[in-house]
Amino acid sequence: MQKTAVFSQVNFVEVFSTKQGAVFQSDSEYCWYIDFAGKLARFDYRNLLKLRQAINNIDIEQILLNSGKTADVEIIFICACDHCYVLSLLEVIAMKELLSGTFVMLELNHIIQDRLFRIVA
Amino acid sequence: MKDIMRIKCLLSSDVETLLNQQIKKEALSSSIYLSMASWCNRNGYDFSSDYFFKQAEEERHHQLKFYKYVLDMGGNAISPEVTDIKLEYNSFREVFEEALDQEISVTQSIKNIAARCHKEQDYVTLEFLNWFFKEQREEEYKARRALELFEVIGEEGTGRWQIDKHVGQIKYDSEA
Ligand SMILES: [Fe+2]
Ligand SMILES: [Fe+2]
Repeated sequence: MQKTAVFSQVNFVEVFSTKQGAVFQSDSEYCWYIDFAGKLARFDYRNLLKLRQAINNIDIEQILLNSGKTADVEIIFICACDHCYVLSLLEVIAMKELLSGTFVMLELNHIIQDRLFRIVA
Repeated sequence: MKDIMRIKCLLSSDVETLLNQQIKKEALSSSIYLSMASWCNRNGYDFSSDYFFKQAEEERHHQLKFYKYVLDMGGNAISPEVTDIKLEYNSFREVFEEALDQEISVTQSIKNIAARCHKEQDYVTLEFLNWFFKEQREEEYKARRALELFEVIGEEGTGRWQIDKHVGQIKYDSEA
């Protein structure tokens, strides 16, 4: 969480990254930037939660067991959000990993903030 | 790095999910009571029908209380879908048995939310839940008393008519 990257004058802090992607937080904008599937997309608080929900609602096992001829592509569309993802099953799994890691790091940051600045020792 | 999650919302996502499940449970209770009011009315139990109409309104009030709390704390309150409401009951007694079952299940469910709040030290939600614990005391008491009328009065002869009359008079006025 120490790494700071500068993209077009916006200050990003990396929250979590995997081989497939990364999530950055912008303190000044109160939002997150997700670098995944070849694009950098901005998510505010509500939309980040909706994205997590949408990804978690995908039944990966069911898709794996599905022997139908339809392509195993998932379209992730989030209401009132500019972005939409069209992901293969492998990408869905990678996105799930990226987001769960991100939320763990956000939780860790919450604990650190509590311990360092909020709770009277 | 700013703690944006906490800045936006007081509730953890687990507690928020549990509260939304409870919103659904209260909505379900309200619909069940409304259905019971209809059954009692159709079968000539007017006092019991009134009693269940009142209960249905109370449950709606509980649902809104949870709903507004979630929103006030920065969470996302979800308007629930309620389906599969029973329309027919086998007997007058069965209606009251199921009413008590429903109240017990609500109490247990709120206890479970409180356990989660204790675990993550969410004393704010815990304090909010206290109102409901007191309410459940009354709700279970009334449902249990109603069912006991079947034992005390008995269903023979004009028994059910007597039971119906007494259901309207059940009150809980403990000062404790
Ligand atoms: Fe209730
Ligand atoms: Fe109730």
